[in-house]
Amino acid sequence: MLPPLTAAQPAAWREYNEVSSGFESNQIGVRRASEEFRSRTLSKIPRLLDRLIYLASMRDYNTGLYYHDGLAAQFSADIACETLAACHRGVFRQLLLCPLQEIVDQLEGYIRSTSTTPADFISLWSGIEPYRVTVPVSTDPLAADLFFSNLKVALAIVEARQPSSPRVGAESDASPQPSPAR
Amino acid sequence: MIQLVLSILFGAGLLFSLYVLARKGAKAEGGAQALIDARQALSALKNDLLPQEVVARIFARDDLDYVLSAAPDDVVRLFMQQRKRIALSWVDRVRSQLIRLKRFHLGRSRSYAHLRPKEEIALTMDFATLLFACRVLRILVFLRGPYAAPQMIGATVGIVEKICGVSEKSLAFLDATNAASFDGRSAGSVAGV
Repeated sequence: MLPPLTAAQPAAWREYNEVSSGFESNQIGVRRASEEFRSRTLSKIPRLLDRLIYLASMRDYNTGLYYHDGLAAQFSADIACETLAACHRGVFRQLLLCPLQEIVDQLEGYIRSTSTTPADFISLWSGIEPYRVTVPVSTDPLAADLFFSNLKVALAIVEARQPSSPRVGAESDASPQPSPAR
Repeated sequence: MIQLVLSILFGAGLLFSLYVLARKGAKAEGGAQALIDARQALSALKNDLLPQEVVARIFARDDLDYVLSAAPDDVVRLFMQQRKRIALSWVDRVRSQLIRLKRFHLGRSRSYAHLRPKEEIALTMDFATLLFACRVLRILVFLRGPYAAPQMIGATVGIVEKICGVSEKSLAFLDATNAASFDGRSAGSVAGV
């Protein structure tokens, strides 16, 4: 808690206090907005992968800023942007640390929730890799790489489970030699 | 003649002083860059490369078990290729950040942290061991895959964390908490005045 300002304090010190108090109120706003956004919106989205895609879709591709009319109206555009960015980073981190099996389950659930057939979905996702735009800004390259790699393998596993379909990712990347792991 | 020699000596002394002063200036500038480099390396190691959960996920054995049980051979090969690539990238990045930290410690840290000679020797040994371990780890992962040396990975992470601790001590004066306490002191002195 900041002490109250007095006229005797130097102008620079008062300015410093004003900036600090602005920062503090912004942090409180972001915390409140995050709680609200999590309970009202994110909790209604069942899977982490769906949440990640939803949050990435709230971001402007050109500026990297997030927009949410409801949050902006209730708090402010800056707080809404910061809140969505923080939630995006959090969801990405959670998904990054998921075991591969869980990512495969999430991917299968996500495919079921779309209106496309699994074959079309896998063909598109293996081809143009739209999941690459779902990573938050300033993510560590190694973390992003691990995430992309997990999704690529998960897609290959889901594809292998489909009845009689050629495996796009696996065949293009893997050599025909026997696996050293087996 | 003696006067001439004295003048030459005096001139040479002046030139030498100028040279020393110029070098000091360059050091200050280079020192700032070394501090930034060390701080960035420390941050990359602590936040992105060393967290237990990240290392565990990159080298997770349960992922391999799952793929072996649930996917055909070509997908297993794809998985092994991908994890090997990421494991190699992890080793390379840890090594490059360590080299940045080593540069700071060998060149600048004694200006900022009062390390005892014994500590400095131990640190130098740790750096040498780690850089060698990274080389060996890279060869092992390259030849035998990401699951070749789990104990060595654990040991490497342990020593890197130790080095990060020492580096953090050397860079502690840059921390915001210190700045805050400095602010507090300034505020107090302002109030006192």
